[in-house]
Amino acid sequence: MNTASLNLNKTLVYLKRYWVLYVMLILPIAFFITFRYIPMHYILIAFKKYSIVQSPWEMPWADNNGMQYFIQAFNNKDFLLALRNTLMLNFLDLLFGFPAPIILALILNELVFKRFKRFTQTIVYLPHFLSWIIISGMALQLLAPTNGLINIVLRRMGFDPIPFLNDPTWWVITYVALGIWQSVGWNTIIYLAAITGINPELYEAASVDGAGRFRKIWHVTLPGLRPTIIVLLILSLGHILSSEFDRPYALSNKLVTDVSTVISIFVYNYGIRGLNFSLSTAVGLFQSVVCVIFLFAANALAKRFGERGIW
Amino acid sequence: MRTRRIVMSILTFTLAFALVLAGCSKGKQDESNSSTGSNTTNQTNSGSSNAESGGSGDLDPRLEKYGLDENLRFKETRKITVEVYDRGNDNGTPPESNFYAQWIKEGMLRDHNVEVEFVPVPRWTEVEVINNLLAAGEAPDISVTYSYPTILTYANMGGVLDMAPYLEEMKDFLPDLWNLLTDDNIYWNRDPKTGTIWAIEARLAILNRINTFVREDWLKKLNLEPPKTLEEFENMLRAFRDNAELLLGKDADKMVPFSISFDVGWRADHLIGSFVPNDITDKEMFIYGFDDRKFLYPNYKEAIRVLNKWYNEGLIWKDFPLYPAGDPTEDNMMKAGYVGAFMHNWDYPYRNGEDSIHASLQRLVGPDAAYIAVEPFPNDKGVYRKYLSPPIDRKIFFPATNKEPVASLLYLNWISKEENRLFLQFGEEGVTHERMPDGSYKALTVTGEKIMNSPNNLDYTITINGIKLSDPDLTVKSIANGYAGVDKRYIEIAHQITTNEGRIGKNANVGEILAEAGMGQALSEKRDNILNQAVVAPVDQFDKVFDEGMADYLRSGGQAIIDERKAKWEEIYGDKTMLD
Repeated sequence: MNTASLNLNKTLVYLKRYWVLYVMLILPIAFFITFRYIPMHYILIAFKKYSIVQSPWEMPWADNNGMQYFIQAFNNKDFLLALRNTLMLNFLDLLFGFPAPIILALILNELVFKRFKRFTQTIVYLPHFLSWIIISGMALQLLAPTNGLINIVLRRMGFDPIPFLNDPTWWVITYVALGIWQSVGWNTIIYLAAITGINPELYEAASVDGAGRFRKIWHVTLPGLRPTIIVLLILSLGHILSSEFDRPYALSNKLVTDVSTVISIFVYNYGIRGLNFSLSTAVGLFQSVVCVIFLFAANALAKRFGERGIW
Repeated sequence: MRTRRIVMSILTFTLAFALVLAGCSKGKQDESNSSTGSNTTNQTNSGSSNAESGGSGDLDPRLEKYGLDENLRFKETRKITVEVYDRGNDNGTPPESNFYAQWIKEGMLRDHNVEVEFVPVPRWTEVEVINNLLAAGEAPDISVTYSYPTILTYANMGGVLDMAPYLEEMKDFLPDLWNLLTDDNIYWNRDPKTGTIWAIEARLAILNRINTFVREDWLKKLNLEPPKTLEEFENMLRAFRDNAELLLGKDADKMVPFSISFDVGWRADHLIGSFVPNDITDKEMFIYGFDDRKFLYPNYKEAIRVLNKWYNEGLIWKDFPLYPAGDPTEDNMMKAGYVGAFMHNWDYPYRNGEDSIHASLQRLVGPDAAYIAVEPFPNDKGVYRKYLSPPIDRKIFFPATNKEPVASLLYLNWISKEENRLFLQFGEEGVTHERMPDGSYKALTVTGEKIMNSPNNLDYTITINGIKLSDPDLTVKSIANGYAGVDKRYIEIAHQITTNEGRIGKNANVGEILAEAGMGQALSEKRDNILNQAVVAPVDQFDKVFDEGMADYLRSGGQAIIDERKAKWEEIYGDKTMLD
């Protein structure tokens, strides 16, 4: 009895002291409820026959216990192709695109001239602000087989033109390379910030022990970056099945659709333009569920290896 | 110091934000004020017309029912929204409020007491945007699209109004609409079983479609006659390629004997048409006519094989598959004079005045340089067959959210009235057009508020595309007048050839083909991929690429559509293979 009233008292004192903070929380919570959680009931569309005049609760269930659209998607050759391409392109992005900013951050960190370092940094992260539509236009101007600048130069020098954009294999290389070019500078920012957080005494101690540059990078900088790398890796793995739309869509052309059609483009062609809203919701739901599974798995794995994880 | 500065800047920002918000809400208030203001004036208006009509004796019960007086004016002001395409042209005017939009608004208010509000929809993404508007229940009362499947999809979900009962009931009061569209276009989409009409078809006044163009000056330089057969055309392309030095001098490496784009089916249409058997039946044309590039027509593959051969001989522009729709690269090559021949819209080199390919050629290359339309592709019976579209254009429909179907029909009638139509198509005499001695119209170049955003304001005259004067002869003359700075000879040749020995599409109305629902875009996408990949394939791979692509196309829904179309045709027309 007594302890209960004591607890209540404690809570009251706590609320009296901090109520402002809770009031301030109302707005963001209201935002998330209205714009993130309430619209979620439209997920039901994936299991129902869509109709614009009915609310999702009233729509009739789809065939096969509501699974019709999932069955339809997995029976569709184009969807399976899109699934494969999404995994392939994201995996390649991860393989080449993930280490790139770490390497660049290490290089930038070793630069002695501060002014030059800042200048370089600005230049490499500028492409981040270009939209993929602009980049694809530039790619066409530079890389097209007959009218592209690079191929014109190659031809003048007596080489054969390289089919950067019109051969599927070359297109994948171009796609990944342009992705690195666009995002590498921006992604170094977080690593450079983490590097400044490393205790300088560690470097001094390493110098006293006679460590050279590479030793210092290997034994001080990289271990210092490890938590950051792990967190970013987990987040990237959470994106393994998500697909950007503008990048593959803008860079694609009719000759490389076998490798460039990713899930988002499939959804656009069959779902949005073909008015199959239920199908596109089903595909989107599948994507999200797989992404969440990957996220949890990667996080659990990180924890098992003694890292902090993301929560 | 530092925290203080941060606090100050946050305060300033908040203040600015609050001001902006205040500004917004004030704007809204003003708007609502003004709208109530106009409402009151309208009410007085309608009040007076009410009094006038009160005198006249018995009113048609249909008019009574819909609150109209004998002059077809509503007794109380009605309000409708109308879709208008927004082309976003440079130097264009806002389509919802420019001179012509205002003219329509005033006219409709005067003649029918209907307030019109225009809803701009981007022309090049119209299907996607009208989709979103329909899905959100915000589509304009009078909506327009080129995609009938979109309308059908929403109609099946209950999102579109059946026009049939209103058309039947109001027919007597819509003489101009009926005159312009005729029963054919109005009942084009009437379901043979249920009688529903989800959309009526605008009139395509000019059936001109595609032409094959070659550089006239190059023919002269190489002493060649305009080609009359496929073989001659092919030899001409080879001659262009082999004489690049002579024709282009230092730019010889830029020579493109024949140019196409990713849209192969459109850009090789006459070539493809010549491979289709001359005695193809209406039934076959219907069953295999689902694709708008006729991808399923018999013998299509052989036409693409010709392109494949040309590509591998270096006669076709190598980069064509890379450039998306609307990209100006290919046009620029034509304008610079590097392209020998191509197929495109029937007047493609001549349209757009100073900006036209023709004008650029004359400026950059010389006064002799010009494209001329030729007719090099006879079919198996030696006929220069052109497969023309049926006389239908945009589809006009009323979404289920339309609460004013009668006012909307009166709008369509008003816009179809010849005097209104001609004013919108040609504008004011002496400003946007002049009358020639022979009575034909000649458009003048205008800038500023009276500029037309679309050719002959076709975005406003939603019931017709192209001009249609009461005298067909004047129509042709007026068309030729429309190309300022182009020798009339070129236009007349192009106009004559493009429909020469044409076969006009007919309406095989068998009701909805369920297998087509939602497949249009995905299948067109597939068709383009197959055609592009087949054209650039090595010659010995061509059969494999095309056949595999076609098999995939059929498996992905093409075959189901063919089967259903065949069954439905036989259900309605039995053994008949030709339509009347």
